[in-house]
Amino acid sequence: MNNTNSQHEIRAETVPEIAFDTVRRIDGLEEIAANYAPYLADESRLPHQGADYLFFPNDEAELAAVMREMSRQGKPVTISGARTGLVGGAVPAGGAIVSMDRFDKVVDIRYDEGSKEWRLSVESAVSLRDLGDWINKKSFPGLLGRASPETEKQFGLFKEDPRSYFYPPDPTEMSASLGGTVATNASGAASFRYGATREWIRGLRVMLASGEVLDVPRGKYFVTGDRKFTVVNGAGERTPLTLPSYRMPETKKNTAGFFSAPGMDLIDLFIGSEGLFGIITRVEIALEVWHSSISVVQFLPSDEAALDFVIGLREEKDIRPEFVEFYDDGALALLRDRQRENPKFIDMPPIPEDAGAAVFYDIEFDGNAAAPDFSRLEEVTRRCGASLAQTWAGYERRDLARFRHFRHALPETVNSIIGERKKAHPGLHKLGTDLAVPDACLREIWQFYKERLAAAGLEWVVFGHIGDNHLHVNILPKDMDELARGLDIYRDFARKAVDLHGTVSAEHGIGKMKKKFLAVMFTPDELEEMAALKLALDPQAMMNPGDILDIQGAVQ
Amino acid sequence: MRVLVCAKQVPEVTDVQVDPETGTLNRDGVASILNPFCEYAMDLALDLKKGMDDVEIVVLSMGPPQARAALMRCLEMGADRAILVTDRRFAGADTWATALTISKIVEKLDKVDLILVGKHAIDGDTAQVGPELAECLNIPQVTYAVGLELDEKRRRVRVRRETDRGHQVVQMRLPGLVSVSKGAALRRVCSFQDILEARRKELITMTADDLGVDESELGLKGSLTQVVKIFPPVEREAGRVVDGTNPPLAARQVVEFLKDKHFV
Repeated sequence: MNNTNSQHEIRAETVPEIAFDTVRRIDGLEEIAANYAPYLADESRLPHQGADYLFFPNDEAELAAVMREMSRQGKPVTISGARTGLVGGAVPAGGAIVSMDRFDKVVDIRYDEGSKEWRLSVESAVSLRDLGDWINKKSFPGLLGRASPETEKQFGLFKEDPRSYFYPPDPTEMSASLGGTVATNASGAASFRYGATREWIRGLRVMLASGEVLDVPRGKYFVTGDRKFTVVNGAGERTPLTLPSYRMPETKKNTAGFFSAPGMDLIDLFIGSEGLFGIITRVEIALEVWHSSISVVQFLPSDEAALDFVIGLREEKDIRPEFVEFYDDGALALLRDRQRENPKFIDMPPIPEDAGAAVFYDIEFDGNAAAPDFSRLEEVTRRCGASLAQTWAGYERRDLARFRHFRHALPETVNSIIGERKKAHPGLHKLGTDLAVPDACLREIWQFYKERLAAAGLEWVVFGHIGDNHLHVNILPKDMDELARGLDIYRDFARKAVDLHGTVSAEHGIGKMKKKFLAVMFTPDELEEMAALKLALDPQAMMNPGDILDIQGAVQ
Repeated sequence: MRVLVCAKQVPEVTDVQVDPETGTLNRDGVASILNPFCEYAMDLALDLKKGMDDVEIVVLSMGPPQARAALMRCLEMGADRAILVTDRRFAGADTWATALTISKIVEKLDKVDLILVGKHAIDGDTAQVGPELAECLNIPQVTYAVGLELDEKRRRVRVRRETDRGHQVVQMRLPGLVSVSKGAALRRVCSFQDILEARRKELITMTADDLGVDESELGLKGSLTQVVKIFPPVEREAGRVVDGTNPPLAARQVVEFLKDKHFV
């Protein structure tokens, strides 16, 4: 086999066979519902469709035993991470639930000379909160007990390194599992500077439905120029894969559809595939040097001035905010109302009456530096009719926490308003968009949103990740008629975003709840290509039934 | 007119644990902040200055070099300049030695009309340095202020102070010292401009050499008291709560309890 070929094919590892009965297992829906109810739901609150088993495998060998037995029994498998998803991805649709809870350890640490970065190998159920905490304290529970001498040595060097480190992806929900964030290519506010989860993944171990494992480091396996790749199983049988031919949206964030591009790294196929090809058991992540920062809320005269400010910030390559978030005129008005009722809820001074919009950003800042230079930032601000005097800012730890609290005040307010209205109209719910467009289209999509919303006469506010052109338009319907009109508008917005080469799902994913939007973004042929790829890797369609694609003839 | 605000850097108290073995505070990873009562003193100073360009706010802190951060916070809030009084020879100073040291600095400053201090620091909780400072300087003092107002001729301040039963309004001639117990209900938020400008303001350092005081009066040597031991308070058991929604039942429960304890 020549070198070129080996780049385009991967050999699956066989996992030692162990007896299926040794795996911890809960039998029957009744028992699961009585004592393990959380495993039947996720944050979407979508109703489940039953489950026959709940498994708690300890390691890859046990997980493989489960997969082989479920394949034999013809039962599908729903992967259960931390169940923090918003689109029902982890809600079972019959068959087995496989909890990854026991994959909870840091396995390895090493310094990569080539990329000059520290890398950490972590099992998939570790939560982002624990991970962040351990990295911050440079302490990984149990690592030394199971580590090789080389890992021990590397860990010693890591502790001696005077710098602090962190793992940049921050999808806000810190109880999310690392594996879940990889499966969904999770992003958040900080993706503005650091990109989505994908940017920080250096290796994956993925268990296929067959019970075999693919070990996929970044930079080793690539699909061909015409998007083909071959998987060779333990018995030497070759499965050719063809990736979908569609063009990916031109946005930094995207969670709609499988990643596909000519010559791409194989690892990117698994990142964001929502568990349709296999179960992520281990993830190698890259760490970033930590720096202190300041939180700033910049008030601006109007929504349009805020857009100019954001575009100005992006053009200045030396200004690198951690994130850039937007509050439109309506969002500020809503917060002012809240402040009048209860100043403590916002815990901030009164929002200036003349502010027509606000942009919230964090930026690198050293409180001990003698004379920090922010003249470029001052200049950009001035050009948009504002000044650094028209800001709130804070950099002490308690201030960062205070500003973070402020950032959450708006979504909480929207949710509580909808909660009140639900009392009169139980079927009512919030309509929050998750669309993103390329940088060049920010002004265009904003005008489109604003004109359509104003014409509809509905109540709405806009906030969110404007740095990535990923605004959450929130429509607050007062009754079922307004809800229906809001849904129509939402579909129009999705079509417009796709026309602009954007995405229908920037960060929430597709799961079971947003499949209808995939049809806005992809043609029936393209959806067919996705299904064909899925069935090539998972011929029985065992993995995560009902997520992303509706596949006929799946195991049941 | 010159207003001097005394500021202290303290550990962010919600985080601090007392080591039960050594009785010392465990400060690992604990953030340092400006003592909240000193921040309230700044609040009152800034209220006073509002609309009066000729009022200068000078802020002073005696502490380790890191106390610079607490002074910086005051400069961001709007103090005009800052003095950091730092020297290893000050180490171990009790409230008396601290008050004496600060009084020497005040004497060096050209004419101070009003001194504002926090009523106490949230780490030591002694509430002594302010009153002792007034004594060292032989000026009048009013404690536990919640508001103050300058008279037209700027010869007196009217101070609203907390008492156990409510409030009292006291008039004091200047120069004098006021200890502050509460400021604005909402913590002030600075602007980015305030924060950047603070770093261009004057912040000078003074040491023992600048005081002209015999070293025996400074730090541990000059201290009249010593802390022998620090220990966490003994935790008390939670009391029993009687639900009052059914008064006859609640009354019976109370009577049973009192009988049980042989009170009735």
